[in-house]
Amino acid sequence: MSVLALLAAPSFVDTLLLKFFSEQTVNYVIWPLIQVGLVVTITAGWVAYATYLERKISAFMQARLGPMRVGPWGLLQPIADGLKLLTKEDFIPENADRWIFFVAPYIAVVAAFIVLAVVPFGPDWAVITDVNIGVLFVLAVSSVGVLALILAGWSSNSKYALLGALRSSAQMVSYEVSMGLAIIGALMFARTLSLSGVVEAQASNSVWFLLYQPVGFMIFLVSGIAENNRAPFDLPEAESELVAGFHTEYSGFRWSLFFMAEYTAMVVVTAVATTLYLGGWYFPFVYRLTEAKGYHSVYVVVSLIVFLAKAGLLLYLYFWLRWTLPRFRYDQLMDLGWKWMLPAALINIVVTAIAVTVIQGLDNPSGMHTIKSLSAGLGLTVSGKVIAIAFGIVNLFLTAGVLSLINWRSRDFNLKKQRHQIRLVDLPKGKPAVAPVETVSEARP
Amino acid sequence: MPLVPVPKPTFTQKLKRFFMVDLLKGMAVTLGFNIGALTDKDSVAGKGIYTEQYPKVRPDVAPRFHGAPRLNMDPETHDTLCIACNLCALACPEDCIDVIPMDVEVVVAGKPRRKKVLDEFIFDTSRCMFCALCQEACPTYCLELTQDFELATYSRAGFVWNREMLEQGRETVKYES
Repeated sequence: MSVLALLAAPSFVDTLLLKFFSEQTVNYVIWPLIQVGLVVTITAGWVAYATYLERKISAFMQARLGPMRVGPWGLLQPIADGLKLLTKEDFIPENADRWIFFVAPYIAVVAAFIVLAVVPFGPDWAVITDVNIGVLFVLAVSSVGVLALILAGWSSNSKYALLGALRSSAQMVSYEVSMGLAIIGALMFARTLSLSGVVEAQASNSVWFLLYQPVGFMIFLVSGIAENNRAPFDLPEAESELVAGFHTEYSGFRWSLFFMAEYTAMVVVTAVATTLYLGGWYFPFVYRLTEAKGYHSVYVVVSLIVFLAKAGLLLYLYFWLRWTLPRFRYDQLMDLGWKWMLPAALINIVVTAIAVTVIQGLDNPSGMHTIKSLSAGLGLTVSGKVIAIAFGIVNLFLTAGVLSLINWRSRDFNLKKQRHQIRLVDLPKGKPAVAPVETVSEARP
Repeated sequence: MPLVPVPKPTFTQKLKRFFMVDLLKGMAVTLGFNIGALTDKDSVAGKGIYTEQYPKVRPDVAPRFHGAPRLNMDPETHDTLCIACNLCALACPEDCIDVIPMDVEVVVAGKPRRKKVLDEFIFDTSRCMFCALCQEACPTYCLELTQDFELATYSRAGFVWNREMLEQGRETVKYES
């Protein structure tokens, strides 16, 4: 029973707090502070251990063991790393723009952490605040992170840092577009911008938007990875070309702040992808087994675990892709962003709009019953769901077809075009070229 | 420059491209290694951990491995087995062995005789290439290349082993966890 008592903590704490403060203070100051403290602490700890996980997983994928010496199985490695970074010299390069150099890491971390305020980790008390423009807020604030990278690169007074910053800003701006457009498809089914509302729309429909929006999910995921500057899109910090990219000149704690920002941004993107496409904290049968039987706190905690498991799987995908795919060339990256992702996102919007229109049009006049209710998202009946899923699958093929039509002249990712390109420009067409035979100079004795 | 013959993709290849089969294959490889690292114990044939935890776990060197040299002694009398015949020094292609003999007076069958015994044995491990030709030349199985591989020292002079080091082994700080 002690476990149940622990799970029932919020109401117990609530009554305790009400003895000392007024109800308004408790609701609008104390509780949010507790939630913020918890989320920031847990995320910071998670970020520290994400570095450990990344090192471990990359080691396993290369048949190594990874960190093993600090603590059992190297579990204390993140703490040792943190202490080492804290004790390092805070180096400022000569002629650097000191103030901007100081401020840039903080902007990066703040931009990454603020987004966590609107992410619905679970129902009821597991979400800090439910803003009714949640998706817009996420997109707006997370793109402030680009500013931090530009400032860091610019103020460092280093060519590598500047080049890295230029690359990352170009990359993030171009992928931001398709990311924002990919979300719209999911929002058409959710009919709200609130992230909790999106999850509730999926929960009341008992369906994940991944089924309606396979193309949208893929675009969002690829753009998210590119947005976070993670491999295979880690051009801004391509080790072999740019030393360390925008944070080349940073050391000690400021460097670790950039690292924290990167990993928090990863957490944010996985959380938003989970919320929009994988049903957030919704999982079949959880509601029926817990909330319906009166165990409210159990319901919240189980939903929280479900959410974290889904986000964790996506995070594993990040590490997985990093050690599977080689880095893109810069022109390939831009090609992928503007010639493939952006048209795909636009096609996705059009097809989704057609799907929603068709579902709405079929509802009344033909006697078919496709829409159940509009209270939480687009509540569809079974036939409506089938139509939506069919449109999603057709969209996959349609997008591939239209993309190959658009890009039939594009060189990258197009073997047919590349075949015609492997040829000297001067040579006449159709004539089989012969390699010029090198004549041995006769002057040689 | 000749045209590079790039064959036209067949329908199967196009289908593979569409469903990103190659990407999935690559991801299957990395996932296989990740799962193998957690479950598979056979590191050579399987997908388990290949690396060794060196100072903690001593590696198993191959049976033919040649390492630090050693001068063997008679296990009962603890006298050296070396008869100062100089065959090892002659066999050494790198010329890194110096056998320094001395004469001692012994009485054999009532008559005083002079006998050549080992005084000092110099083995330069910095020049040694561990071919073990000296070991093969030794008629008394005295000189032997053991499987000990920790030969690093702080100076060049440390690489030159004398008779005491060869007989007793060099003192090294062993890792204790």
